[in-house]
Amino acid sequence: MNQETAMSKLRLRNVAKHFIAPRTGQLTTAVTDVNLDIETGEFVCIVGPSGCGKSTVLNLIAGLDTPTSGTIEANGAPIVAPGADRGVMFQDYALMPWMSVHDNIGFGLNYGTPGEGLTREQREKRIRHFVDLVRLNGSEKKYPHQLSGGMRQRVALARLLANGPDILLMDEPLGALDSQTRLILQVELLRIWGETAPREQRKTAIFITHDIEEAVFLGDRVVVMSTHPGRVKAIIPVDLPRPRSEHIRADPRFGQLSDEIWDLIRDEAYRAIDGTEAPAGPKATAVEKVE
Amino acid sequence: MTTRTAAAPNRTHWNSVLEATLVPALLVFAWQLWAMTLATDPRSPSPTHVATTFVDLVSNGGLIGATLQSLGRVVVGFGLALVCGVVLGLLMGSNRRIRDIFDPIVESFRPIAPMAILPVAILWFGTGTPAALSIVTYAAFFPLLVNTVHGVSRVDRKLVLAAMTMGVPRARILARVILPAALPSIMLGSRLAMGVAWTAIIAAELGVGAKSGGGGSGGIGQMMFVFYAYSIDLNAIVVCMIVVGVVALLIDRLFRFVEYRLMPWRH
Ligand SMILES: Nc1ncnc2c1ncn2[C@@H]1O[C@H](COP(=O)(O)OP(=O)(O)O)[C@@H](O)[C@H]1O
Ligand SMILES: [Mg+2]
Repeated sequence: MNQETAMSKLRLRNVAKHFIAPRTGQLTTAVTDVNLDIETGEFVCIVGPSGCGKSTVLNLIAGLDTPTSGTIEANGAPIVAPGADRGVMFQDYALMPWMSVHDNIGFGLNYGTPGEGLTREQREKRIRHFVDLVRLNGSEKKYPHQLSGGMRQRVALARLLANGPDILLMDEPLGALDSQTRLILQVELLRIWGETAPREQRKTAIFITHDIEEAVFLGDRVVVMSTHPGRVKAIIPVDLPRPRSEHIRADPRFGQLSDEIWDLIRDEAYRAIDGTEAPAGPKATAVEKVE
Repeated sequence: MTTRTAAAPNRTHWNSVLEATLVPALLVFAWQLWAMTLATDPRSPSPTHVATTFVDLVSNGGLIGATLQSLGRVVVGFGLALVCGVVLGLLMGSNRRIRDIFDPIVESFRPIAPMAILPVAILWFGTGTPAALSIVTYAAFFPLLVNTVHGVSRVDRKLVLAAMTMGVPRARILARVILPAALPSIMLGSRLAMGVAWTAIIAAELGVGAKSGGGGSGGIGQMMFVFYAYSIDLNAIVVCMIVVGVVALLIDRLFRFVEYRLMPWRH
């Protein structure tokens, strides 16, 4: 029991989050009954229809919001506030528009706790390292509005990694990309996460996506969520070998896992198409599978 | 080939100079015609009279000194208002309790015209620079404050959250995220504030001049009052009006330049 607690990097117990609309006082249950244990070095993907509370769960882990009930612990200690140990990559990147690529990547190092105790040269070296890693050399002086969507996403990723967080929290980080760039960055992401390193040296990652195949390609486990109210429907272990390359998509097991997850969310995906707020991801997959 | 491409920007440059000067030149010409149809009273303002008066005032009338004195007051008053307005604006914009405390005070003073506080300013500070300065600061303060609060309220919350997840302390988030994110609004407020500051200094100097019987305040506003009340020199008053207008234009251009330098990411 005690040992299990020590092993879990993140532990969510009966977590629920309600929102109360300020004017009408109307109560929304964003998520409820979320139980999740995530081990060190694990890559966990979360999929589910739009509005099922994926971002809410991520914000709670980040400490940007507090659960209405239940507990969330990181390394055995309750999460009470945001901290640089849990880095977040936001859905729309949240880059500082007035800062160059270089300064955006160095933001946490220059102004936050990750840079404490580092000299100016050390910080510069670190920034350069991550500029190289996400292949943005030559664009350091550009401002976010001068970059393509894919480049902005790489800046956000480099900023996340430059801060050296223990836990990577990523909210649909590749969502805005065209499919080719997306496939390339998926492989890069696994490389950066530490796929080739021993497990205890890898980062712990939580990755939200609406793309089922992306979740299977990246994750050690896929958490499938459902809506009304948002809750965890199933947790699917991905028993594909690592390191993974593009070719793994041709593996029959890859297809099986994708189908299994699709079966879990298809009803809600169809309902969402009939309804007014059809989510983009599952809808696209739906058309594919029907044909 | 090369000469044509090289000549092209030059031609557009001359075109824009022509466009910029054509309308003013026509206006001056029309004014001169209009003045020549009237009686040839040397005091009635016409471009030629105004031009000679201008040369006269510059060489021995102290026009430049008076303009610089007014300008100095505007710069200092604007600077005081900038510091107060931006600091209070950042605090009010980012802290609900501070906003609740200050908002009623601000909103009840805001509609009071700068000139309305002139009697109090003279009573407290006399008729010299402090009185004029207090009015300028008062006038410039509100556009700066209101635009800063507005800018802060519109800062993308995601940027603040992102900074929090990078372990940036709150005070530094104010300086490193909220201030730069609100900078476009603050710059807009600055331009408006500089405009009203310049208007207010002329009015204040005129007013202080009237109150103190023509002495005391100094500056271009007082100069105008003296010409109006004692010598009834309309040409000199027109010279002052033109100087006020040109200085206002230069200030505006300076602000655009500063804006350009301060916010390269917006260009
Ligand atoms: N700040 C908020 N205030 C009120 N309701 C919210 C807020 N954030 C999220 N919600 C609601 O919670 C539910 C889950 O939202 P979210 O976590 O963003 O879903 P997802 O990321 O899976 O699309 C939605 O019904 C949404 O409207
Ligand atoms: Mg979301």
